[in-house]
Amino acid sequence: MAVTDQATSLPDERLVELSLDGDEDAFGILVRRYQRRLTAFLGQLVGDLELARELSQEAFVRAWSALERFDPRYRFSTWLFRIAHNLGIDQLRRRRLQTVSLYRTDSEGDEVEVVVPDADKDPLGHLENHALASELRQVIDGLRPEYRELILLRHFAGLSYQEIAEFKGMPLGTVKNKLFRAHSVLRKALAVFL
Amino acid sequence: MATDCQAIQEILTEYRGETDRLEGTARHHFEVCPACREVAAAERTLGLIFADAVPPANAGVERGVMASLRPVRTRRRIVAFLPVAASLLVALLGATLVGGVPGGGIVRFLPGWSAQGWMAFVSSASDWGTAVATGARAVAATLDPAILAAAGLVGFLGLVGVAVTALRWRRVSPWRNED
Repeated sequence: MAVTDQATSLPDERLVELSLDGDEDAFGILVRRYQRRLTAFLGQLVGDLELARELSQEAFVRAWSALERFDPRYRFSTWLFRIAHNLGIDQLRRRRLQTVSLYRTDSEGDEVEVVVPDADKDPLGHLENHALASELRQVIDGLRPEYRELILLRHFAGLSYQEIAEFKGMPLGTVKNKLFRAHSVLRKALAVFL
Repeated sequence: MATDCQAIQEILTEYRGETDRLEGTARHHFEVCPACREVAAAERTLGLIFADAVPPANAGVERGVMASLRPVRTRRRIVAFLPVAASLLVALLGATLVGGVPGGGIVRFLPGWSAQGWMAFVSSASDWGTAVATGARAVAATLDPAILAAAGLVGFLGLVGVAVTALRWRRVSPWRNED
Protein backbone atom coordinates (compact mmCIF):
# COMPACT_ATOMS: atom_id res chain seq x y z
CA MET A 1 0.00 0.00 0.00
CA ALA A 2 1.42 3.37 -0.96
CA VAL A 3 1.39 5.86 1.88
CA THR A 4 -1.19 8.41 0.84
CA ASP A 5 -3.17 11.03 2.72
CA GLN A 6 -6.08 8.62 2.56
CA ALA A 7 -4.02 5.84 4.10
CA THR A 8 -2.75 8.01 6.93
CA SER A 9 -6.31 8.80 7.93
CA LEU A 10 -7.37 5.15 8.12
CA PRO A 11 -8.53 4.03 11.57
CA ASP A 12 -6.22 1.90 13.69
CA GLU A 13 -8.34 -1.21 13.16
CA ARG A 14 -7.95 -1.06 9.38
CA LEU A 15 -4.22 -0.37 9.63
CA VAL A 16 -3.85 -3.37 11.93
CA GLU A 17 -5.67 -5.55 9.36
CA LEU A 18 -3.36 -4.34 6.60
CA SER A 19 -0.34 -4.89 8.83
CA LEU A 20 -1.49 -8.44 9.51
CA ASP A 21 -1.45 -8.96 5.76
CA GLY A 22 2.23 -8.01 5.89
CA ASP A 23 1.79 -4.37 4.85
CA GLU A 24 4.75 -2.62 6.45
CA ASP A 25 3.64 0.81 5.22
CA ALA A 26 0.40 0.44 7.14
CA PHE A 27 2.33 -0.41 10.28
CA GLY A 28 4.59 2.57 9.56
CA ILE A 29 1.53 4.82 9.76
CA LEU A 30 0.74 3.36 13.17
CA VAL A 31 4.33 4.00 14.23
CA ARG A 32 4.12 7.64 13.15
CA ARG A 33 0.73 7.98 14.80
CA TYR A 34 1.88 6.74 18.20
CA GLN A 35 5.63 7.15 18.50
CA ARG A 36 5.56 10.65 19.94
CA ARG A 37 3.03 9.82 22.63
CA LEU A 38 4.64 6.47 23.34
CA THR A 39 8.04 8.10 23.82
CA ALA A 40 6.54 10.85 25.99
CA PHE A 41 4.76 8.29 28.17
CA LEU A 42 7.83 6.09 28.53
CA GLY A 43 10.04 9.14 29.09
CA GLN A 44 8.00 10.08 32.13
CA LEU A 45 7.80 6.48 33.28
CA VAL A 46 11.54 5.77 33.18
CA GLY A 47 12.80 9.36 33.48
CA ASP A 48 15.18 9.06 30.55
CA LEU A 49 14.30 10.25 27.05
CA GLU A 50 16.99 8.26 25.24
CA LEU A 51 15.96 5.08 26.99
CA ALA A 52 12.32 5.93 26.28
CA ARG A 53 13.10 6.08 22.54
CA GLU A 54 14.77 2.67 22.69
CA LEU A 55 11.85 1.24 24.61
CA SER A 56 9.37 2.80 22.17
CA GLN A 57 11.17 1.12 19.32
CA GLU A 58 11.12 -2.18 21.16
CA ALA A 59 7.42 -1.78 21.97
CA PHE A 60 6.59 -1.28 18.29
CA VAL A 61 8.67 -4.25 17.21
CA ARG A 62 7.02 -6.42 19.86
CA ALA A 63 3.62 -5.21 18.72
CA TRP A 64 4.48 -6.10 15.12
CA SER A 65 5.74 -9.53 16.18
CA ALA A 66 2.65 -10.23 18.27
CA LEU A 67 0.11 -8.63 15.95
CA GLU A 68 -1.55 -11.97 15.24
CA ARG A 69 -2.35 -12.30 18.93
CA PHE A 70 -3.95 -8.83 19.09
CA ASP A 71 -7.63 -9.10 19.98
CA PRO A 72 -9.51 -6.68 17.69
CA ARG A 73 -12.29 -6.34 20.28
CA TYR A 74 -9.92 -4.04 22.15
CA ARG A 75 -8.28 -0.84 21.00
CA PHE A 76 -4.86 -0.97 19.40
CA SER A 77 -3.80 2.07 21.44
CA THR A 78 -4.42 0.47 24.82
CA TRP A 79 -2.75 -2.76 23.68
CA LEU A 80 0.31 -0.87 22.45
CA PHE A 81 0.59 1.22 25.61
CA ARG A 82 0.25 -1.90 27.73
CA ILE A 83 3.23 -3.42 25.91
CA ALA A 84 5.15 -0.19 26.44
CA HIS A 85 4.10 0.03 30.08
CA ASN A 86 5.32 -3.51 30.75
CA LEU A 87 8.63 -2.74 29.07
CA GLY A 88 8.99 0.43 31.15
CA ILE A 89 8.20 -1.36 34.40
CA ASP A 90 10.68 -4.15 33.59
CA GLN A 91 13.30 -1.50 32.89
CA LEU A 92 12.61 0.25 36.20
CA ARG A 93 12.91 -3.04 38.06
CA ARG A 94 16.25 -3.74 36.44
CA ARG A 95 17.50 -0.22 37.04
CA ARG A 96 16.38 -0.20 40.66
CA LEU A 97 19.05 -2.80 41.27
CA GLN A 98 21.72 -0.58 39.71
CA THR A 99 20.95 2.93 40.96
CA VAL A 100 20.47 4.74 44.22
CA SER A 101 17.02 6.24 44.47
CA LEU A 102 15.84 9.24 46.46
CA TYR A 103 12.65 9.62 48.39
CA ARG A 104 10.48 12.68 48.64
CA THR A 105 7.20 13.49 50.28
CA ASP A 106 4.21 13.64 47.97
CA SER A 107 1.28 16.05 48.03
CA GLU A 108 -0.51 13.93 50.60
CA GLY A 109 2.43 13.42 52.93
CA ASP A 110 3.39 9.95 51.71
CA GLU A 111 6.95 9.05 50.84
CA VAL A 112 7.44 8.29 47.14
CA GLU A 113 10.46 7.16 45.19
CA VAL A 114 12.00 9.60 42.75
CA VAL A 115 14.60 8.76 40.13
CA VAL A 116 16.57 11.88 39.25
CA PRO A 117 17.00 12.21 35.47
CA ASP A 118 20.24 13.03 33.75
CA ALA A 119 19.95 16.64 32.48
CA ASP A 120 20.69 15.61 28.88
CA LYS A 121 18.11 12.85 28.93
CA ASP A 122 15.39 14.83 30.64
CA PRO A 123 12.01 14.05 29.04
CA LEU A 124 11.01 17.68 29.68
CA GLY A 125 14.35 19.07 28.54
CA HIS A 126 12.84 20.43 25.31
CA LEU A 127 10.65 22.92 27.20
CA GLU A 128 11.96 26.45 26.80
CA ASN A 129 10.56 27.53 30.14
CA HIS A 130 13.03 25.78 32.43
CA ALA A 131 11.28 26.92 35.59
CA LEU A 132 8.03 25.40 34.36
CA ALA A 133 9.80 22.19 33.30
CA SER A 134 11.41 21.87 36.70
CA GLU A 135 8.19 22.56 38.57
CA LEU A 136 6.18 20.24 36.35
CA ARG A 137 8.71 17.45 36.89
CA GLN A 138 8.58 17.90 40.64
CA VAL A 139 4.80 18.07 40.75
CA ILE A 140 4.36 14.93 38.61
CA ASP A 141 6.99 13.02 40.57
CA GLY A 142 5.37 14.14 43.80
CA LEU A 143 1.92 12.85 42.91
CA ARG A 144 0.61 9.70 44.55
CA PRO A 145 1.58 6.77 42.28
CA GLU A 146 -2.02 6.03 41.28
CA TYR A 147 -2.58 9.68 40.30
CA ARG A 148 0.78 9.91 38.58
CA GLU A 149 0.07 6.92 36.36
CA LEU A 150 -3.28 8.33 35.32
CA ILE A 151 -1.72 11.71 34.52
CA LEU A 152 0.92 10.01 32.37
CA LEU A 153 -1.72 8.00 30.54
CA ARG A 154 -3.92 11.03 30.00
CA HIS A 155 -1.44 13.76 29.12
CA PHE A 156 1.65 12.00 27.83
CA ALA A 157 0.11 8.87 26.29
CA GLY A 158 -2.84 11.01 25.18
CA LEU A 159 -5.41 8.33 26.01
CA SER A 160 -9.07 9.22 26.43
CA TYR A 161 -10.81 8.56 29.75
CA GLN A 162 -12.48 5.53 28.17
CA GLU A 163 -9.14 4.18 26.96
CA ILE A 164 -7.61 4.72 30.40
CA ALA A 165 -10.51 2.85 32.00
CA GLU A 166 -9.89 -0.03 29.58
CA PHE A 167 -6.14 0.09 30.16
CA LYS A 168 -6.45 0.08 33.94
CA GLY A 169 -9.51 -2.16 34.13
CA MET A 170 -11.21 0.55 36.20
CA PRO A 171 -14.76 1.86 36.03
CA LEU A 172 -14.97 5.05 33.98
CA GLY A 173 -16.36 6.94 36.99
CA THR A 174 -13.31 6.04 39.06
CA VAL A 175 -11.00 7.30 36.32
CA LYS A 176 -12.93 10.58 36.16
CA ASN A 177 -12.83 11.02 39.91
CA LYS A 178 -9.15 10.19 40.31
CA LEU A 179 -8.12 12.43 37.43
CA PHE A 180 -10.21 15.23 38.86
CA ARG A 181 -8.39 14.88 42.17
CA ALA A 182 -5.00 14.63 40.46
CA HIS A 183 -5.78 17.79 38.49
CA SER A 184 -6.78 19.60 41.66
CA VAL A 185 -3.30 18.87 43.00
CA LEU A 186 -1.70 19.98 39.73
CA ARG A 187 -3.70 23.23 39.55
CA LYS A 188 -2.70 24.09 43.10
CA ALA A 189 0.97 23.25 42.63
CA LEU A 190 1.29 24.99 39.26
CA ALA A 191 -0.91 27.96 40.16
CA VAL A 192 1.85 30.42 39.44
CA PHE A 193 1.98 29.26 35.80
CA LEU A 194 -1.77 29.08 35.25
CA MET B 1 -23.62 23.85 45.20
CA ALA B 2 -20.39 22.06 46.06
CA THR B 3 -21.64 18.90 44.35
CA ASP B 4 -22.62 20.90 41.27
CA CYS B 5 -19.16 22.43 41.20
CA GLN B 6 -17.42 19.06 41.42
CA ALA B 7 -19.57 17.52 38.68
CA ILE B 8 -18.97 20.48 36.40
CA GLN B 9 -15.28 20.69 37.21
CA GLU B 10 -14.90 16.98 36.44
CA ILE B 11 -16.29 17.71 32.98
CA LEU B 12 -14.02 20.73 32.60
CA THR B 13 -11.05 18.61 33.64
CA GLU B 14 -11.93 15.88 31.16
CA TYR B 15 -12.33 18.30 28.25
CA ARG B 16 -9.32 20.47 29.07
CA GLY B 17 -11.36 23.48 30.14
CA GLU B 18 -13.58 23.51 27.04
CA THR B 19 -17.06 24.64 28.03
CA ASP B 20 -18.89 23.34 24.92
CA ARG B 21 -19.86 20.16 26.77
CA LEU B 22 -21.80 22.08 29.43
CA GLU B 23 -25.52 22.23 28.77
CA GLY B 24 -28.68 23.32 30.55
CA THR B 25 -28.34 23.84 34.28
CA ALA B 26 -24.64 22.98 34.19
CA ARG B 27 -24.11 25.74 31.67
CA HIS B 28 -26.10 28.17 33.77
CA HIS B 29 -24.15 27.19 36.89
CA PHE B 30 -20.89 27.72 35.06
CA GLU B 31 -21.90 31.19 33.91
CA VAL B 32 -22.47 32.36 37.47
CA CYS B 33 -19.82 30.35 39.36
CA PRO B 34 -16.42 32.09 39.61
CA ALA B 35 -14.76 28.91 40.99
CA CYS B 36 -15.80 26.83 37.98
CA ARG B 37 -14.77 29.55 35.56
CA GLU B 38 -11.41 29.71 37.26
CA VAL B 39 -11.01 25.95 36.93
CA ALA B 40 -11.93 26.15 33.22
CA ALA B 41 -9.26 28.78 32.61
CA ALA B 42 -6.66 26.83 34.62
CA GLU B 43 -7.49 23.60 32.77
CA ARG B 44 -7.11 25.27 29.39
CA THR B 45 -3.64 26.49 30.35
CA LEU B 46 -2.77 23.13 31.90
CA GLY B 47 -3.80 21.47 28.63
CA LEU B 48 -1.41 23.71 26.72
CA ILE B 49 1.40 23.02 29.18
CA PHE B 50 0.96 19.26 28.80
CA ALA B 51 0.73 19.56 25.02
CA ASP B 52 4.13 21.30 25.07
CA ALA B 53 5.50 18.73 27.51
CA VAL B 54 5.27 15.96 24.90
CA PRO B 55 8.70 15.81 23.23
CA PRO B 56 8.86 16.23 19.44
CA ALA B 57 8.79 13.14 17.23
CA ASN B 58 12.12 11.48 16.65
CA ALA B 59 12.79 10.16 13.15
CA GLY B 60 15.30 7.66 14.55
CA VAL B 61 12.56 5.75 16.33
CA GLU B 62 10.58 5.23 13.13
CA ARG B 63 13.69 4.32 11.15
CA GLY B 64 14.74 1.84 13.83
CA VAL B 65 11.31 0.23 13.95
CA MET B 66 10.96 -0.08 10.19
CA ALA B 67 14.44 -1.58 9.88
CA SER B 68 13.50 -4.20 12.47
CA LEU B 69 10.30 -5.29 10.76
CA ARG B 70 11.85 -7.26 7.90
CA PRO B 71 13.72 -9.85 10.01
CA VAL B 72 10.63 -10.26 12.15
CA ARG B 73 8.51 -10.81 9.04
CA THR B 74 10.96 -13.38 7.68
CA ARG B 75 10.87 -15.21 11.01
CA ARG B 76 7.08 -15.03 11.02
CA ARG B 77 6.95 -16.52 7.52
CA ILE B 78 9.19 -19.39 8.53
CA VAL B 79 7.20 -20.05 11.71
CA ALA B 80 3.93 -19.88 9.76
CA PHE B 81 5.27 -22.29 7.13
CA LEU B 82 6.33 -24.96 9.66
CA PRO B 83 2.77 -26.27 10.22
CA VAL B 84 2.25 -26.32 6.45
CA ALA B 85 5.42 -28.34 5.99
CA ALA B 86 4.45 -30.70 8.81
CA SER B 87 0.98 -31.19 7.31
CA LEU B 88 2.50 -31.84 3.90
CA LEU B 89 4.78 -34.48 5.36
CA VAL B 90 1.84 -36.14 7.11
CA ALA B 91 -0.18 -36.07 3.88
CA LEU B 92 2.72 -37.52 1.90
CA LEU B 93 3.36 -40.18 4.49
CA GLY B 94 -0.29 -41.20 4.47
CA ALA B 95 -0.47 -41.18 0.69
CA THR B 96 2.71 -43.21 0.38
CA LEU B 97 1.51 -45.77 2.88
CA VAL B 98 -1.84 -46.00 1.19
CA GLY B 99 0.01 -46.53 -2.05
CA GLY B 100 0.81 -50.01 -0.78
CA VAL B 101 -2.81 -50.95 -0.19
CA PRO B 102 -3.53 -52.71 -3.48
CA GLY B 103 -1.06 -55.24 -2.24
CA GLY B 104 -0.76 -58.00 -4.79
CA GLY B 105 -0.05 -55.81 -7.76
CA ILE B 106 2.42 -53.58 -6.04
CA VAL B 107 3.76 -55.98 -3.49
CA ARG B 108 5.09 -58.00 -6.40
CA PHE B 109 7.58 -55.24 -7.03
CA LEU B 110 8.72 -55.04 -3.43
CA PRO B 111 12.02 -56.54 -2.46
CA GLY B 112 11.48 -59.76 -0.62
CA TRP B 113 13.00 -59.96 2.85
CA SER B 114 15.80 -62.02 1.44
CA ALA B 115 19.41 -61.19 0.68
CA GLN B 116 18.53 -60.69 -2.98
CA GLY B 117 15.63 -58.49 -2.05
CA TRP B 118 17.79 -56.33 0.15
CA MET B 119 20.42 -56.10 -2.57
CA ALA B 120 17.73 -54.93 -4.96
CA PHE B 121 16.55 -52.47 -2.37
CA VAL B 122 20.05 -51.15 -1.74
CA SER B 123 20.82 -50.86 -5.42
CA SER B 124 17.67 -48.87 -5.97
CA ALA B 125 18.59 -46.62 -3.06
CA SER B 126 20.88 -44.69 -5.37
CA ASP B 127 17.73 -43.14 -6.62
CA TRP B 128 16.28 -41.44 -3.53
CA GLY B 129 12.81 -41.15 -4.95
CA THR B 130 12.70 -44.83 -5.76
CA ALA B 131 14.19 -45.70 -2.40
CA VAL B 132 11.59 -43.76 -0.45
CA ALA B 133 8.70 -45.10 -2.50
CA THR B 134 10.03 -48.65 -2.38
CA GLY B 135 10.67 -48.42 1.36
CA ALA B 136 7.23 -47.03 2.01
CA ARG B 137 5.62 -49.75 -0.10
CA ALA B 138 7.64 -52.33 1.78
CA VAL B 139 6.36 -50.98 5.07
CA ALA B 140 2.84 -50.75 3.71
CA ALA B 141 2.95 -54.32 2.47
CA THR B 142 3.76 -55.58 5.94
CA LEU B 143 1.01 -53.61 7.63
CA ASP B 144 -2.42 -54.74 8.62
CA PRO B 145 -5.27 -53.37 6.42
CA ALA B 146 -6.72 -51.63 9.45
CA ILE B 147 -3.45 -49.79 9.90
CA LEU B 148 -3.46 -48.94 6.23
CA ALA B 149 -6.93 -47.50 6.62
CA ALA B 150 -5.55 -45.44 9.48
CA ALA B 151 -2.73 -44.38 7.18
CA GLY B 152 -5.37 -43.25 4.70
CA LEU B 153 -6.97 -41.21 7.42
CA VAL B 154 -3.59 -39.73 8.32
CA GLY B 155 -3.09 -38.75 4.70
CA PHE B 156 -6.53 -37.16 4.57
CA LEU B 157 -5.95 -35.27 7.81
CA GLY B 158 -2.61 -34.16 6.46
CA LEU B 159 -4.35 -32.72 3.40
CA VAL B 160 -6.86 -30.91 5.59
CA GLY B 161 -3.96 -29.63 7.67
CA VAL B 162 -2.25 -28.34 4.55
CA ALA B 163 -5.40 -26.49 3.49
CA VAL B 164 -5.94 -24.92 6.91
CA THR B 165 -2.34 -23.96 7.66
CA ALA B 166 -1.73 -22.74 4.11
CA LEU B 167 -4.53 -20.21 4.52
CA ARG B 168 -2.79 -18.76 7.57
CA TRP B 169 0.61 -18.92 5.93
CA ARG B 170 -0.73 -17.20 2.81
CA ARG B 171 -1.33 -14.05 4.88
CA VAL B 172 2.39 -13.66 5.50
CA SER B 173 3.77 -15.41 2.44
CA PRO B 174 6.23 -13.48 0.25
CA TRP B 175 3.75 -13.56 -2.67
CA ARG B 176 1.06 -11.87 -0.65
CA ASN B 177 2.84 -8.51 -0.84
CA GLU B 178 3.04 -8.68 -4.59
CA ASP B 179 -0.74 -8.20 -4.81
